[in-house]
Amino acid sequence: MSVQATRHKTALSHLFFWFLFANGGGLAALVLPVHILVQGILGPLKVAPVVDQHYDTWIQILGNPLVKLYILVLVALSFFHFAHRLRYLLVDFGVPAAKSLPAQAIFYGGAAAITLITVWILLTTAPLSLG
Amino acid sequence: MASAEPRSYRWSMPANWWTRNRRYFFYVVREFTALPMALWLLWLLYDIKGAGSGAAGFQPPRSAAFVAFSAVCFLFATYHSYTFLKLAGVIIHLRVMDKTVPPRVIVLTMFGLWAVASIVIGAVLIGFAR
Repeated sequence: MSVQATRHKTALSHLFFWFLFANGGGLAALVLPVHILVQGILGPLKVAPVVDQHYDTWIQILGNPLVKLYILVLVALSFFHFAHRLRYLLVDFGVPAAKSLPAQAIFYGGAAAITLITVWILLTTAPLSLG
Repeated sequence: MASAEPRSYRWSMPANWWTRNRRYFFYVVREFTALPMALWLLWLLYDIKGAGSGAAGFQPPRSAAFVAFSAVCFLFATYHSYTFLKLAGVIIHLRVMDKTVPPRVIVLTMFGLWAVASIVIGAVLIGFAR
């Protein structure tokens, strides 16, 4: 009975991290290139006006709750994806310790820490505004 | 007579395994894309934090070094998008009205979504600028 129960146990932690990995990779694939192109290249080169090139427009858009939520989801999911990929890249490079529990704690814990830092930055940088 | 001590065989991959085959090389490049994208997102957080210092202390990113860094990250991010969205046909299995959606349609839809998301976000980033 207990053997049967063990066999049919759902790998919830695997499911959870796979969900974060897949959605983080998908979201980063859909939106990150345009952020880098516009904010990292076109704006600084003055090819196009971009919100983060002026304080007033940047602080105004950062105050929007939808923008805050979008940035939080983008950073959180992406960093769980990055953590998973970089951990397995180390395994591929012959570092089996990257599979260990401490390594998982470091990589996924790092992603969780960056998520918390993002929450703190978003809550303390620009006051909420719907305008 | 042979020694009673059992001999173990430990095989390990050579360090340069990924340089020996084009497919292996691009697999490693695909996995590595996570690092430049992570660095760019960390910069984005730094840029957001910079807005908290007030108008007087705000320094918009305009240096050539930053543009060069972004250009490198853009190449890796685009490669990530291409490889990740191309895999959608293998990963996603959809059935509509008892018929399986062909993988090619799923991949094309994902690339279409990429185009739409890029246009919308680009429009917001540029449209709300002064």
